[in-house]
Amino acid sequence: MAVAKGAPARGALLSIRLPRSRGANLALYIARRILWMIPVLLFVITLTFLLMHLAPGSPWDRGGGRQLSATIVQNLNTKYGLDKPLPQQFELYIWNVAHFDFGLSYQYENQTVTHILLESWGPTFTIGVLAFALIVPFGIGIGVIAALRQNTWVDFLAVGFSTFGASVPNFVIGILLIIVFSVEAYHLTGGNVFLPPGGFGLDFHVVLPVIALATLPIAYIARLTRSSTLDVLRQDYVRTAWAKGLRERLVVMRHVLKNSLIPVVTALGPTFAFLITGSVIIETVFAIPGIGRSFVVAVSSRDYPMILATTILYSVLIAVANLIVDLLYTVIDPRVRLS
Amino acid sequence: MDVSTGRLRWLRVPTVIVGCGLVLAACGGSSTSNSNMAPNDKQILRTNSGTEPNSFDPGQQTYDYEGLVGRNVFEPLLKPTTDLKDVTGAAASSYDVSSDGLTYTFHLRQNAKWSDGQPVVAKDWVYGFQRLLDPSLAAGYVDPYFDTEIAGAQNYGNVDPKDTTAVKTFINGLGLSAPDDHTFQIKLATPAGYFKWAVTLWVATPIRKDIVDKKGYSTWASNPTDVIGNGMFKISEETPKDHVTLVPNPNYWGDKPHIQKWINYFISDTNQAFSKYQTGELDVLNVPLASQDAVTNDPKLKAEQHKYPSLNTFWLAMNLQKAPFNNVHVREAVSRAIDRNTLVNQVAKGQYTAVQSFIPKGMNGYTPSLGSVQDYDPAKGKAALQASGLPVSAYDTVKLLTRNTTTNLLLNQYFVNQINTNLGLHWTLDTKDSKTVTGTYLRKGNFQIYGSDGWGADYPDEQDWFDIFTTGGCHGTNWGCPNDKSYDDLVAKGDSALKQSDRQSYYDQAAALMENQYWVAFLYNRTEVDLVKPYVQGISDTGIDEGIYLPGDFHTNTIFIANH
Repeated sequence: MAVAKGAPARGALLSIRLPRSRGANLALYIARRILWMIPVLLFVITLTFLLMHLAPGSPWDRGGGRQLSATIVQNLNTKYGLDKPLPQQFELYIWNVAHFDFGLSYQYENQTVTHILLESWGPTFTIGVLAFALIVPFGIGIGVIAALRQNTWVDFLAVGFSTFGASVPNFVIGILLIIVFSVEAYHLTGGNVFLPPGGFGLDFHVVLPVIALATLPIAYIARLTRSSTLDVLRQDYVRTAWAKGLRERLVVMRHVLKNSLIPVVTALGPTFAFLITGSVIIETVFAIPGIGRSFVVAVSSRDYPMILATTILYSVLIAVANLIVDLLYTVIDPRVRLS
Repeated sequence: MDVSTGRLRWLRVPTVIVGCGLVLAACGGSSTSNSNMAPNDKQILRTNSGTEPNSFDPGQQTYDYEGLVGRNVFEPLLKPTTDLKDVTGAAASSYDVSSDGLTYTFHLRQNAKWSDGQPVVAKDWVYGFQRLLDPSLAAGYVDPYFDTEIAGAQNYGNVDPKDTTAVKTFINGLGLSAPDDHTFQIKLATPAGYFKWAVTLWVATPIRKDIVDKKGYSTWASNPTDVIGNGMFKISEETPKDHVTLVPNPNYWGDKPHIQKWINYFISDTNQAFSKYQTGELDVLNVPLASQDAVTNDPKLKAEQHKYPSLNTFWLAMNLQKAPFNNVHVREAVSRAIDRNTLVNQVAKGQYTAVQSFIPKGMNGYTPSLGSVQDYDPAKGKAALQASGLPVSAYDTVKLLTRNTTTNLLLNQYFVNQINTNLGLHWTLDTKDSKTVTGTYLRKGNFQIYGSDGWGADYPDEQDWFDIFTTGGCHGTNWGCPNDKSYDDLVAKGDSALKQSDRQSYYDQAAALMENQYWVAFLYNRTEVDLVKPYVQGISDTGIDEGIYLPGDFHTNTIFIANH
């Protein structure tokens, strides 16, 4: 993909016209990108596998208290194939993954990793989608308004919020939200008005985690939108648009926004990554039974198959998100050609 | 128990009377508070076990957070009385022991039923025990049954789990039999006065072979609602990683519980759990040491505290295989240098009590006279270092291995400060990731001194305790590996003596030996501190409860929700 430098800026305002071979090109492009994911995934699996086995600690040891006796540890190693040499374990794992068999969890004995991931994706997906639904309008909205009202109190407020949101870790925000809107609200109203501190349900339970998860990306997108909008506002074609006497809404929606959003769309890919890494923390703080929490539990209990499968899933998600973003470019900016 | 009298039958009536006499809160409470009891739809109990059970198959359960649900969904043969002095009938109404102490005959309840309505028969018990002892299942909590007693089980560690014929021969050779539908017989290899306690553990339960055959040998319980148990409750629903809901088992033979719906959450984050308790979404919550001040300073929470003793002991484990702790005088100096009273009053904020001996108060066989050799006395500590004959450099810069958790760091820093102040040494902490300490350091004997190590009773018999310091427990249950033949002999005699008084005398000698030799420095006993909502009543706690999750979890049938 390349942005053709020097192409006429007004191109951005024209409706998209597809060349005849565009559809075939697109299919080829997507196929190639998906094929490229295979070596990437292999690399991720190898690295994770090695790191995991290099990390000290065993799946059968606990972080304190009573430990299993040596005989039982030996039997468990036999049961789960951990008595085999490492290269053989790796070979077997790759072979199984190629058949979409991610193995049995060590932590949750006799449950397949696939089963655990399937039963925990719902909450993660729900919280993620809701957060994303907040991020796009709020992030872009705050950024654009701040840029249009630069150096007014609106702008200062927006910049202040963005700085706060981008610098305070989301577990701090999460705990603060719980203290204020759950515990203190409960005490002040005698238990009549408060938000649930944690757990999952398609009701008020999602409010606090979604806000905690979305704050950082909103702040990030708002800052990005603001600076890119300020850039665009200084462009000649915007001045021309104003000079033509167009209404503000038209100038902003058609001339400014469409151009200022290109870097923002680029950032939405990494935003997915934000949501994934964020979910790991948010789900722990809010006790949400999602993939992120399973991942934390898996890492701390050295549940190798679970760690590997989650890492693979995350890699695929991020690769797909990046692919979608790249495809979105062609919609937003017709100068972009897939090659 | 005096086995020489032959048949010992549990008389149910006296048991009930004794039970009421001791459990005033439970029995007295229920009679006066029946009017106070909330209606059935309000009989909802919400607890938190912090972690989801790894499995709902009792054979594959190991840890305390599994026992909470496990022992309420399945019922073992016997259960401890509330005073922990003896056992009483559970799934077996009574039991007899042969005069040689080798054959235990359990008389199963005639009216016992599985939660799906089928009768519980003796062959279900035989199958349950056989499966637990199957090396290919790799049950985590099988040690109490192969270590010592069931005939044929001693070979457990020598059977190759992959050799199906060897496994089959091993299982069929175990001393388990079902003379008739309501009699389950276990033959032991050696007499074991504590065996009545071993069958109170929740992992030793009957299992339905037809269900296991249909759903898979190790996977039959993967779907929690498929679990058919013989206990007071049954699983009605589970949301993975979130909670499990128990409801009364309508087919249970005995008294039905008052609680109609028991939701047990799996919240690992202590802040989150504390918030849930404060917003009225949890009824019972353990108070970690770090939160004790917050509770003490809040009058409402302080009033909701439920404190009770627990059968555990914690100590500093010294590596007897390595210098300088292969020298008994250095070990003595450690024990003498630590002021336990300041520890429990200031560092532990009243959650601990000081100890200098192994067996905690409340255990059968607790001997108050033991342990004085370990008393805090810095002068004697310094003298011991002199007596060691070692140069100061040999013990001046020891590293104390500690897990990187808040509580461990807090305690171990205190121990190191005490030793440095009272003995004039320069010890430091060797802080390691909590998860790697066991495998990388303890199991390999790769440390000098480690704290705090400890033990909590599986059951209130001393065998459960003294066995851990035997040579066989080296690098498994005891990290310092004293490997003392005379101790092993005393413990073996204590384990197998037929008369309780003989057992006691052997164990007392073993205790004196280890305390005089300062194998470890005994430090403290942890008291359970929970927050319990005032409307949760009828709790009859014991020292072996999974108290950090629910005090009284051995006697859940007496717990009820009062009007509020």
